[in-house]
Amino acid sequence: MVLVGTPPSDTDGERGLLRRARTGDPAAFRVIFERHSPAVWRFLRDLLRDEAAADEATQETFVRAHSRLGALRDEDRVGSWLLGIARHVYLESRRTRGVHVDVADEEHAHQVEAVLPTPSPEDLLLDQELAGLLTEALGMLHAERRAALLLRIDHGLAYEEIASVMGWSLPKVKNEIHRARLRLREQLAAHVGGGRP
Amino acid sequence: MSTCRESELDALLAGELAPEDASRVRAHAEGCAACKHALAWQRLERGWMTQRARRELVRPALSFSALEARLAVAQKAPAPVRHARREGQWRHWGKMAMAAAAAVAFVGLSLPRGGAGVGVGVGVGTEEPWSRELIVATGVEACEDAAAALEARVGACLIASPVLALRAD
Ligand SMILES: [Zn+2]
Repeated sequence: MVLVGTPPSDTDGERGLLRRARTGDPAAFRVIFERHSPAVWRFLRDLLRDEAAADEATQETFVRAHSRLGALRDEDRVGSWLLGIARHVYLESRRTRGVHVDVADEEHAHQVEAVLPTPSPEDLLLDQELAGLLTEALGMLHAERRAALLLRIDHGLAYEEIASVMGWSLPKVKNEIHRARLRLREQLAAHVGGGRP
Repeated sequence: MSTCRESELDALLAGELAPEDASRVRAHAEGCAACKHALAWQRLERGWMTQRARRELVRPALSFSALEARLAVAQKAPAPVRHARREGQWRHWGKMAMAAAAAVAFVGLSLPRGGAGVGVGVGVGTEEPWSRELIVATGVEACEDAAAALEARVGACLIASPVLALRAD
């Protein structure tokens, strides 16, 4: 990512940046873009499972964000606001492209926990092979469930923020994320707790 | 916590619980094998997501020049009918923007650079790094020591929140 011109100080808070961006200051909007575009891109790549499509969708997300800066009420939640726009861009893209039906996510989460190994510290190292398996395992999840899980474990949104982004009730958010976790763990169980081949 | 709730453990790790709730969840987790197990997995997931995020900080295609060009196109275009703008249209704009981006980049690159390191942080986050207090309380102490040794060996923090990890150091 190329950073050019004279951006605002890196000590500028989100509120200050947002106010400047709203007045049409392109340097402020650029800092917002530079700060958030990696996460927005990663989120879209994880949803679309296509890097080029994620590039395109990220640009679209920021174009829309730029035109709606005045609509953001909670100035401390720029990140979750952008991820919410990104999700809408993804849904439109999916509709337009007539994307495949997601891999069936069977409802067999019950008692999965009992048969999972307990991770050891050595498992923390994410090598190339495991990173690939993680991406694959994430891809096995139903798209909406995957989105909710990633908003939590990758993007650090609070459950309430996820409910807002997804348009779900809080209990549904918790339930979907729990199920997603169990499914993910089941997929990766063979690679943790000394079970790695 | 009469039953084990993963979302509460998660919120505990993220530092999102009120002090009294944190104490309650912590007390439960101390004596619950299932919750210790879930905590170990949550810790692993955080570690993996952190490392994954660090590897993907730079995406060359995400240049602000390309976005600026696209914004210029969008501002000149007639106002779209609400909900009518669809991917086909923004893909088209994307192509136009790609062409315009070259010109913008040429101008942009001739400007002085500033603010090295400004652009890599994600400013909004709710998660906190794994707290030592919690690790002790939940009996993952031995695991944490081993993790620290592993981190020392590879010279990197493996379990900090991805959100925090993305901030400029
Ligand atoms: Zn428990």
